[in-house]
Amino acid sequence: MINKFFYKVLFFLLISFISNEVYSAEGGPCKDYGECDKFKYSLNDFESLQRGASAFINYCYGCHSLKYSRWGRVAKDLKIPEDIFFENLVFDKSIKAGDLMIGAMPSNSANWFGVMPPDLTLVSRYKGDDWIYSYLRAYYEDSSKQYGVNNLVYPGTAMPNVLMSLQGNQKLVCKNIPVKAENGGEKRDEYGITITNEKCGFLEVEQGTGTLTREEFDNLIYDITNFLVYVGEPSKATRERIGWYVVFYFLIFTAVSSLLYREYHKDYLKK
Amino acid sequence: MTQIAGKLFTWLNARLPIVNTFERHLSKHPVPSKVNFWYLFGALASVVLIIQIVSGIWLIMPYSNTEEQAFSSVEYIMRDVDYGWVIRYIHTTGASLFFAVIYLHMFRGLLYGSYQKPKELVWVFGCTIYLAMMAEGFLGYVLPYGQMSYWGAQVIISLFGAIPYIGESLELWVRGDYYISGITISRFFALHVVALPLVLIALVFLHLVALHEVGAGNPEGVDIEAHLDDDGVPLDSVPFFPYKVLNALVGIGVFMTVFSVIMFFFPEGGGYFIEMANFQEANPLVTPEHIAPVWYYAPFYTMLRAVPDPLGGLIVMGSAVAIFFVVPWLDRSKVASIRYKGLYSKIALTMFGVSFITLGYLGTVGVTEIRKTMSVICTIIYFAYFLLMPIYTKYETTKVVPQRL
Repeated sequence: MINKFFYKVLFFLLISFISNEVYSAEGGPCKDYGECDKFKYSLNDFESLQRGASAFINYCYGCHSLKYSRWGRVAKDLKIPEDIFFENLVFDKSIKAGDLMIGAMPSNSANWFGVMPPDLTLVSRYKGDDWIYSYLRAYYEDSSKQYGVNNLVYPGTAMPNVLMSLQGNQKLVCKNIPVKAENGGEKRDEYGITITNEKCGFLEVEQGTGTLTREEFDNLIYDITNFLVYVGEPSKATRERIGWYVVFYFLIFTAVSSLLYREYHKDYLKK
Repeated sequence: MTQIAGKLFTWLNARLPIVNTFERHLSKHPVPSKVNFWYLFGALASVVLIIQIVSGIWLIMPYSNTEEQAFSSVEYIMRDVDYGWVIRYIHTTGASLFFAVIYLHMFRGLLYGSYQKPKELVWVFGCTIYLAMMAEGFLGYVLPYGQMSYWGAQVIISLFGAIPYIGESLELWVRGDYYISGITISRFFALHVVALPLVLIALVFLHLVALHEVGAGNPEGVDIEAHLDDDGVPLDSVPFFPYKVLNALVGIGVFMTVFSVIMFFFPEGGGYFIEMANFQEANPLVTPEHIAPVWYYAPFYTMLRAVPDPLGGLIVMGSAVAIFFVVPWLDRSKVASIRYKGLYSKIALTMFGVSFITLGYLGTVGVTEIRKTMSVICTIIYFAYFLLMPIYTKYETTKVVPQRL
């Protein structure tokens, strides 16, 4: 009797574990965009990081500070010679290497966008790199908004599409998608014409409106995101490098101590 | 040189019980000769305690316990302090693994009846340590003053408000302010770095003294004291030092490997060890999308949410922790180890384990209808395991425990 009841409850729990309902109750972090695009950082690709830093300072730093990060540290970690760095990327000449990157926005800037542009030092840690990579590429034209754009990843975002001149005018379009047949191929009508369904919500850039191709733009966003991953945790590359040595050390430690233990273990096996 | 050292040692030993203590608690302390890996977690827990204390001391030096600087001083540690990130990640990884180790240690207790006569007091001290750890972990989590620190603290402190009559004033007294502020941080800091560590060390000391008085258990539940050799040493025992120390050393090696893999490659533990929202500075005006506790409190948080009434939830959550204290008097079994207990005990413990893990998972995600049902069922199973224990342990058929290990 009791056993049966237990098995019933256990069965319910198992079923619940398998059922999707338990896992996928909330929408993903990328909202209307669907699944965020996967981003794999490469913190040893200094060229990418340097391009990212340069793009960030030119396009983003005007509004967004990196207030926990220091100028000189960025130059050093990204292997940019300090004189070149300060000549080309630091516009305020009173700034010293040890200064924090506190941004250039006056405190009343909330009036411009409705909110104060957030500090982005840790954005890769609280939003995630996938999110940033998707967000910056998910702007689309929406004339009902203050700056004429909206975003699939962050609907109603207060930030205008700063990179529009590079990306071009991205629009939400509808496409005719072929209907899948039961055998896996495309479904056709009796005349052999593919049956399609109209689906909307696709992002498409208007031809010739941007200075970069889609691939070049994606690469640029990759570099910016990569840079933000670096700024989020400057020691990350070091951490992952020396981690191997530490793990290796403890493996040796385990091996040696288990040999020692085995040797002593023989004593009391005799007893 | 050695002569001088020898003389110094004799001088010291005449005034301090060095040799005596070493022999009594280490080199001549008998422990069961056959135990399994479940018996390693106690040693690992003391290792993590030391790791936490040492890394904690180093964290105190650059940390600033003020409302304005708490968050930025943590980033200062992560960026500007030399190897500050190592120290901080040691501490955050240590916190999570401390709980992991303690949960396994406690499960071992339930598995092999490590609370049974005469070890009731060892168990009760252990439960008190767990309670102190929960408080210590909570207080520490508030210190970086991120969004989750703030809103987690908000939820937990407002629990006091659910207590009738004194609730509101108690809430105010704990917080020291009408909302969580610099005053709250600095008092939590004092409690986290001085008061509770002292309590924890004292309790660990008592836990160990009591353990050494009654002797360690074994997975068979055999009383090794029943068969002594001519010198009065149990036949099925080995001296703690060096045999068990070396055994523990292997465990420590494995544990430290796992520790460093997490610390160097997954310090956020996928958002379970350091929650993503905690990388945002505390903002009293913006509530995070969903407030989830760190994983080690999650089972209890689910129980709190499973009850619609705040006071009821508080009582359920409190009882869920408190009930551990009386386990020695709930178990009526003649045998200690699960190996010799009957089917009911085995089913009950499995169900308990499954429900505890499920409750943990549910605590880290948002609430839906099916999850709510699941959390109620799991809470009932959790309590049923304890409350029905006097019945199922008494009326099941047990196997005969052997005489020797």
